Amino acid sequence: MIFLALPDYDVLPAPLWLVTLLHVLTLTLHFAAMGCLFGGMLALFAARLPGGLENPNARKLVKLFPTLMAATVTLGVAPLLFAQLVYGKVLYSAAIVSGWFWLGVPLAAMLAYACLYAAAFTKRGPARVRVWLLLALAGLVFVSVTYSSVFSLAERPEAQKTHYAGDTSGMVWLPDVGAWIFRWLHMLTGALTVGGFFLGVLGRKDEAAWSKGKLLFTLGTGAAFVTGMIYLLTLGDVLAPFMRSAGIYSLTVGILAAVVAVPLYLMRKLVGAGVALGLGVMGMVHARHVVRDVRLEGHFDAKAIGVDPQWAVFALFAVCLVIALGAVAWMLRIFFKADAEQAA
Amino acid sequence: MPYPFWETDVGYGPLMAVIAVLHVFVSHFAIGGGLYLVVAERAARAGADLQRLAFLERLSKFFVLLSLVFGALSGVMIWFIVGLLSPAGTEALIRTFVWGWAIEWVFFIVEILAAILYYYGWKRLSARRHMAIGWIYFVAAWLSLVVINGIVTFMLTPGAWLETGEFWDGFFNPTYWPSLVMRTGICILLGGVFAVFVAGGHADRPSRLRIVRGAALWGIAGLLISAAGWLYYENVDVLSQKAFVDVAERLVLPTMAVEYMLIAGAILAGGLLVTGVFAPGLQRRPVGFVLLIAALMGFGAFEFYRESVRKPFVIHGYMYANGLRVDRVEAGAEESLLESIAYRTGDDGRDLFNYSCRSCHELEGYRAIKPFFDGTDKDYITGALAGLHAMRAPMPPFAGNAEERAKLGAWVAERVDTRPLHEIHRLEGLALGRRVFEMRCGSCHVRGGHGDVTETFEDFEAEDIDEVLSDVEMSEEMPVFSGDDKERKALIDYILSWQAEAAR
Repeated sequence: MIFLALPDYDVLPAPLWLVTLLHVLTLTLHFAAMGCLFGGMLALFAARLPGGLENPNARKLVKLFPTLMAATVTLGVAPLLFAQLVYGKVLYSAAIVSGWFWLGVPLAAMLAYACLYAAAFTKRGPARVRVWLLLALAGLVFVSVTYSSVFSLAERPEAQKTHYAGDTSGMVWLPDVGAWIFRWLHMLTGALTVGGFFLGVLGRKDEAAWSKGKLLFTLGTGAAFVTGMIYLLTLGDVLAPFMRSAGIYSLTVGILAAVVAVPLYLMRKLVGAGVALGLGVMGMVHARHVVRDVRLEGHFDAKAIGVDPQWAVFALFAVCLVIALGAVAWMLRIFFKADAEQAA
Repeated sequence: MPYPFWETDVGYGPLMAVIAVLHVFVSHFAIGGGLYLVVAERAARAGADLQRLAFLERLSKFFVLLSLVFGALSGVMIWFIVGLLSPAGTEALIRTFVWGWAIEWVFFIVEILAAILYYYGWKRLSARRHMAIGWIYFVAAWLSLVVINGIVTFMLTPGAWLETGEFWDGFFNPTYWPSLVMRTGICILLGGVFAVFVAGGHADRPSRLRIVRGAALWGIAGLLISAAGWLYYENVDVLSQKAFVDVAERLVLPTMAVEYMLIAGAILAGGLLVTGVFAPGLQRRPVGFVLLIAALMGFGAFEFYRESVRKPFVIHGYMYANGLRVDRVEAGAEESLLESIAYRTGDDGRDLFNYSCRSCHELEGYRAIKPFFDGTDKDYITGALAGLHAMRAPMPPFAGNAEERAKLGAWVAERVDTRPLHEIHRLEGLALGRRVFEMRCGSCHVRGGHGDVTETFEDFEAEDIDEVLSDVEMSEEMPVFSGDDKERKALIDYILSWQAEAAR
């Protein structure tokens, strides 16, 4: 065997723009699902609907949570995969520094998922539902905080080294609070925005649910804007290069789209509002992506990685994706059509 | 090495094994169970068997809860943990197979949605549409196995990829098809065993007997397919190549794993036949649970076999388990390993131990190295590090330069008991000599086994043996004897005793 002729894996199997595009698209979908789930739970507790958890819309929401969890997990796989493809070196390093907590993410998600099913299936009254939901919410808070912390750390290779020098056992959790807290709060308020939107859509035929959804969506949008701006201001030295990057355009589009979504929603133009909100989320996702690149300047340059495209396999992926989307659309159609037929 | 090393007190092996074995067990059930559900539903509907339909609805709830909640998220957990334990290996796999994983993700979406709709659709959808969704579920789930099987088998037998670097060469590697047959059989087997277990609690006796018998036959069919897959897998050309046979002969684990597989297979075959086909009345939950445990044991043993014959690589012939590429290690004699480590702890010996040994060995605890070095000394340990790749247990060569080897040797020596063996164990004479041989020679030379030197010494006098023990030019991979005079004499006497043994 000629060892020196071994294949090199330090290349991307597709151009960087394509990987970035897929990352941004799939992360937007993940955030949308996560917003409906996590934000939906926050909205459910914040809304205090008449009848509490016995309210028909609250029950509908509780029954939907396990499915939303499945969607959040499933849609979360691809963006992490594409992020690891390009930024593996900094992501794995940050994850190792917080090893035990990073490993706790899927475990907490699994427990949250089980609690959501327990809440959906239990016949032991709203008090028990509340307990299961609170446990699930605690699990999801852990997941979200750990994600914000690890991804913030991934953007700071020097901080990784400092923290690793202090503790090599993977017990470093939530270091540099200032680095992640506003990022996390922005995610939290963003989720509340989507959750409020979702609650309103789900309960659009019920005045109480609709007005609570409207209120939470509007307040959430405002809060997400404020926390996002504070996060932007905490970027420090990174702010100026970010302002000169493409990130500023996506941020602007994101803010404008989110602003447009509010009046559309209030006018009950829900499809338009949903599209605008989706655009808003996508703008934020791209801006977030650019912040990472800007922060990593001097440490890691994604553009410097060589490219050796695997077009044939990519084409197969594209074909499978189209077929899968067709299958998904068909299954959803017959499922909800059956629902409508039953109702009729 | 661009990554920090996770210094957890829990050994990497057990951490990975527990999560991985449970995940593959549930995920294969998720495939076979899906097929069982839809085929059994078809039969139940054709026979208007309402009891069986009620059972299948209940099974589908168990199925959805187990496969979605545990199956899906334990899969994510494996992904998370391999990134922590083997970041270089994970990066190499993702860079090589990202589109494979992306395709698997697409099937995963369809699979998850179909599972949910299948469960919620029992009373909502027409029979035809409900079964159509069941089939979509099974096809998507099996296709995700078709994809992931390519990546898992690649790690054992990368085949022509080592020369071409082409995706398809790595994907359709030499063990791809046998493994797919075997895993498909395991899926079917698990679908049947889980159904037998759930059916054991079914209240209506006549219906329970009917369901148990059907599910047991289903499980037996799966067992036969997986057995055929195993024979195909074991006899595939590549596994009979020297590297694999060598590992299987040098280590006890692969042989033990195969024995466990056979025992588990026998328990399953006997259990399914007796308590499923011939006397289904005996089949209650505890019996079903025993069968589930046997299936877990057998499947876990197979995964253990696969992992152990791959040693010392994470990607065979390409990357060692410690994350070092084979070509990098080849250059190790001159290059500095320490300089390649981006995350240093300030203790060179510790860093060298972490990046060379600790992916598989703890100092004490899991696969501890301390017992192999207690009673030896710095010179012996440093010398032994030069011959790691020649040892009985397959290991990568040390990847640092001579100075780093000495540093690691000194670091390990500070942490083991360096008193002479006769002091530690209070041994004398031949018993001491045997112990000295086991400690100082046994890693590479086993009497009647790997690296046997019995014949080499059959005509040697004591002086000749003494000369061999002190010969610095004997082999670069063999440390010069560095024990005290008492140990040296005991060792020589022990080796001479072989001649007397042979004469008897």
